[in-house]
Amino acid sequence: MRRNIAGIAAAVLVAAVAGCGSSDSPGTATTPGGTTQVKVGVIPIVDVAPIYLGQQKGFFASRKIELTMESGQGGAAIVPGVVSGQFQFGFSNITSLLIAQTKNVPIKVVSNGVASTGKAGADFGGVAVLADSPIKTAADLAGKKVAVNTLKNIGDTTVRESVRKAGGDPNGISFVEIPFANMPAALTAGQVDAVWVVEPSLSAVTGAGGRVVAWNYVDAAPNLTVAVYFASTKLIADKPDLVKAFTEAMNESLAYADAHPDEVRDIIGTFTKIDPAVRAKLTLPKWPTEINRASIETLATLGTKDGVITGTPDLGKLLP
Amino acid sequence: MAGLLVLLEVLPRIGVVSPDYLPPASRIAAALADEAGTAQFWAGIRDTLVAWAIGLLIAVVAGVVVGVIIGSVPVLRAFTASTVEFLRPIPSVALIPLAVLLYGTDLRSTLLLVVYAAFWQVLVQVLYGVADVDPVADETARSYRLGPWARVRYLLWPTALPYVLTGVRLAAAVALILAITTELVIGSPGLGAQIAVAQSSQAVPTMYALVFVTGLLGVGINVIARAAEHRLLAWHQSVRGEVIP
Repeated sequence: MRRNIAGIAAAVLVAAVAGCGSSDSPGTATTPGGTTQVKVGVIPIVDVAPIYLGQQKGFFASRKIELTMESGQGGAAIVPGVVSGQFQFGFSNITSLLIAQTKNVPIKVVSNGVASTGKAGADFGGVAVLADSPIKTAADLAGKKVAVNTLKNIGDTTVRESVRKAGGDPNGISFVEIPFANMPAALTAGQVDAVWVVEPSLSAVTGAGGRVVAWNYVDAAPNLTVAVYFASTKLIADKPDLVKAFTEAMNESLAYADAHPDEVRDIIGTFTKIDPAVRAKLTLPKWPTEINRASIETLATLGTKDGVITGTPDLGKLLP
Repeated sequence: MAGLLVLLEVLPRIGVVSPDYLPPASRIAAALADEAGTAQFWAGIRDTLVAWAIGLLIAVVAGVVVGVIIGSVPVLRAFTASTVEFLRPIPSVALIPLAVLLYGTDLRSTLLLVVYAAFWQVLVQVLYGVADVDPVADETARSYRLGPWARVRYLLWPTALPYVLTGVRLAAAVALILAITTELVIGSPGLGAQIAVAQSSQAVPTMYALVFVTGLLGVGINVIARAAEHRLLAWHQSVRGEVIP
């Protein structure tokens, strides 16, 4: 969350500065052939496989968009990057964008990003414990120490909901911030009782005998929309055609990725270093083109209830 | 070095540390061999070295020019002393949010932090070097009516050069540290970013292999810096090693 707050604070700052001065239009360059060069801020994780696949398949080129992926570590650099115009589009989880929206950061969602599979037992993220842990169900997590990648974000909100639905008391859970990649080691070393972890680190935990006790994305809302692609409201106003073309290309990429899991597993090898054996087995998320509005409303409600989001996000302004 | 490698091979094998989180040296070596076969790996090394070299060059030129000017004008030196002492201890990594705001995740972010960290190393050494000019020699030069430029060239520069080169050697190491750190934290292109990707991909042996490569780069840079120092200061008594009677 530290990074997240910093990122959002930075975005607010950029927005304020841009509002005061004569800000230049988001830096898009158009080549003589009419192709627009577009930079997209992404995190190099499984979730963004469709945009890489779409680029390879030419879904963007056919709409005269030349993509460059700029992979930042974590979303903190992406929201300010999009607001300041360094990236035309960015990838971020919903809760971060909801928090940004309550701070009036001028951004708007342009396409779906990634969604939960909606299947308990086969989702791309869950709360895992060691094989011999006394924690058997989500309700047992009450009062325990649970690792999340960022505090006060989508992880702790959805984990609390899992515990609530299982009949436990979510208030006593102490959340600690640990990067996903370090969670298997932290769990083994006993630094935490449970970890909320996503692929490929989830495979590392279950591969070592760990058990998943809660499927928090599934418990939070049916077919939860986890992350989306977004742009600055300035770009949307200045270049509506470009945004429309990007959304179309993105939707085609999402649909293609959802229908071709084997190609997804191959493309993941090009922008991550996930071991081929792990890649072949890990649980892929779903990539529907439709943004699940109801699930985002649920996340907003949960976030407000847990104090993760202060104020009420205006979904009408955030969602297309 | 060999001892370290043996230790790294043995510890995970006898179970002192978990081989899942610290793989034996042989597995790291295998991962390194795999990496060396990819274009991505070499592009990463190139990106890191380019950021290092450009950053160091800017820092050295700026450090020497600013140092000589401030150092040779006593009023300027007094005027800037507190500013330098205030800015110098600010850790470069504290500027990461600023770099992200200004330049996002590209090379310029890395350069900002590399230059900031390396500049002070050079500047402070140059200031010491300039202050070390022998007053008798300075007065002799003045009584021979050497102009300002000639005094810099024949008096100040030879006196300051050993200090400057020490500064450059320190800056070279610091520049590499900051280049890797920035890439690791922000994700600007280079070896650091690849370490972060390997980490989030749970590719543990690959991660160690890349960390090992950063160590090799550091050793290489230090060797080159020392050799350059030795050559450029061949005339100087610290290198010649003769006792002046």
